Amino acid sequence: MTANDEELGDFEKRARALLEESVLRIDGRIRSRLNQARHAAAAELERSARRPIWRSFALAPAAGVVAAVLLAVVLWAPRPGQMLPVGEPGSSAVEDLDLVADSDTFDLIEQEDGGFYEWAVAQADAGQAATS
Amino acid sequence: MSAFATLASGYNTPVAVHGDVDFTHSKLNAQSRALNQFLAGVELKAFKIAQSALRHEHDALDAVQDAMLQLARAYANRPAEEWRPLFYRILENRIRDMQRRRTVRARIMAWLPAHRDDEDEQGIDPIAQAPSDAVTPARRLELDESMQALEAALHELPNRQRQAFLLRNLEGMDVAEVATAMGCSEGSVKTHHFRALKALRARLGEFSI
Repeated sequence: MTANDEELGDFEKRARALLEESVLRIDGRIRSRLNQARHAAAAELERSARRPIWRSFALAPAAGVVAAVLLAVVLWAPRPGQMLPVGEPGSSAVEDLDLVADSDTFDLIEQEDGGFYEWAVAQADAGQAATS
Repeated sequence: MSAFATLASGYNTPVAVHGDVDFTHSKLNAQSRALNQFLAGVELKAFKIAQSALRHEHDALDAVQDAMLQLARAYANRPAEEWRPLFYRILENRIRDMQRRRTVRARIMAWLPAHRDDEDEQGIDPIAQAPSDAVTPARRLELDESMQALEAALHELPNRQRQAFLLRNLEGMDVAEVATAMGCSEGSVKTHHFRALKALRARLGEFSI
């Protein structure tokens, strides 16, 4: 260890005190939400214990995934006479496509983003209709 | 005698099965209580860690709730002493997923024709930039300022450094537990933690509370 250990230790102590104070200040509304989440987790434990194994492989909702694939095709397929937009530094269309097509992203889409992608497809279609 | 034996065994079997069922229920109840106790002990700090990474109260709550559910669903049968690093590993994955989802959304919004024209007007997400704490009393101004400065500095850290710092300094986990939670070696944890400390000190100096 270094000669600065004690100094670093003081800094860490102050930081910890501040962080703990900020935890104490978490308001009742959030505490209540966390409490509900905890009870939901306990209920999930009981459901999981009683659920037959084959139910674990139930099909996930697919509409969001289909919408995401459609969106990827609509957005990244070049239109006649269209210049590809310049992305932010360090990014590219291929990178964007990777991000949307990534299997983890599909999990996210299934879980909560299905509506967003369906909306985005509609927006992209509307944009295409307006330019053609 | 043999008839008695047959009869006895006939009565014994259902009693044994009934006993198994009771045991399963009581085991489940004990597990549920233990999980509840564990989650009650980590939920506030977990929320703070998620909020520090996501800078969004609702997302932070969602991340913690998802981590709780995932722990209950998939890892409740693991020994209780493994729960803490597992829980924080799940939470960190969930935080990363949310950050990726934001990136995907931001890029898609940038590509959409209807939103290209007004993207300059959108600027920084006001929700993400909103201060996370409620209004504070004037007498605690100095503490509040230090707290806000620390939270802002934490947000500026790379994810891994922030994670190492908060798990060590807020959750109080030892290096081995943090290594399990972060899915890396203990040496990496020490490096991330040291760099986090260095960056925070450079940013904050000797802040007071």
